[in-house]
Amino acid sequence: MILDLHTHSIKSDDGRAKVENYCQWIRARELPIDGIVLTEHRQFDFESDYSALAKANDLVILKASEVETEYGHVLVYGVTEALTQAFDFASINNVLEDVIQAANDHGAIAVPCHPGRPKVGMFAHTEALGMPQGVQIVEVYNGGSRDDEDQIALDGAAAQGYLGIGGSDSHIVSHVGRCATQFQDDIATMDDLVAALKAGNFEAITLKTR
Amino acid sequence: MTVHYIEDVEFGSDLPAFIPDTSLAKGAQFAKLIGWDGPRFNDHEGARKEGLPGAMIPGVMSQGFLVAMIHHWAPSARIINIDTVFRAPVMADESHTISGVVTDIDPDAGTVEIDLTVANTKQETRVFGTATIGLKAGAD
Repeated sequence: MILDLHTHSIKSDDGRAKVENYCQWIRARELPIDGIVLTEHRQFDFESDYSALAKANDLVILKASEVETEYGHVLVYGVTEALTQAFDFASINNVLEDVIQAANDHGAIAVPCHPGRPKVGMFAHTEALGMPQGVQIVEVYNGGSRDDEDQIALDGAAAQGYLGIGGSDSHIVSHVGRCATQFQDDIATMDDLVAALKAGNFEAITLKTR
Repeated sequence: MTVHYIEDVEFGSDLPAFIPDTSLAKGAQFAKLIGWDGPRFNDHEGARKEGLPGAMIPGVMSQGFLVAMIHHWAPSARIINIDTVFRAPVMADESHTISGVVTDIDPDAGTVEIDLTVANTKQETRVFGTATIGLKAGAD
């Protein structure tokens, strides 16, 4: 099963894609992905219910978050109401180790994204701040990467023994599915996704050449 | 291929790719015309002294390219809105391609939404955005 683990909809301030159009696009272009995870910036979208849309399009649509820390941006999978009270999702000054700890305490998992990117990627800060504790997975393929950002992510992950996921980081409809993550097992719910991530049963893939 | 009516448009269809003139000379000329004359738009070395990787194409010029691309495809389209996110500079004297795809059609409103991407030769997205255009119905 292949999921794009990093997408944004119009719920994000810089997102321009409607979720129904993502679905329509995936089916019209016959993209080789089985679903998407919406990772809206600095928030968790409690109100939207995409279950009918998912069913109508035979796609998995899950919701997560992208928060900001001193090491850059971090995807959080398995967000609960209680976790949103544990740290300020809207802040741009969260502490990465606190986010990781809070996620773990609430049955979620935190994954630094586009770690090879200047300013907003983890490896841009490790020389000055040191290697953060608790990271297990980083995003090694990001659909919006430029220059050698993915290679920096891959090299850094290999050096630290991190596992890698992939996500398109799409903000517009036609960018969805550029990178994704292949899982050994079926993923139907966020609990399934968090369990698969914690078990390490996945592989990052890039589909940028299509 | 050009389109004239909303019935001509299909979800997911690609607009013809558009290769804009991103030469330093054109960018500098445009910048001067709009009162943005300066090294960041007319001199690679001067731009580098400002901490940039080289001279850039002005952002509003890139937006103009997007409009031109849409009108090459749909000459009678009314551009209602163009919304751009500048992820990285469009560098002067580097080749770029603009691609566009139809991602939503509202026949009742007579509008079409288009995803727009400005990418360099390494297929790196420099600018992306969406446009909403108005097209007449064929029966009008």
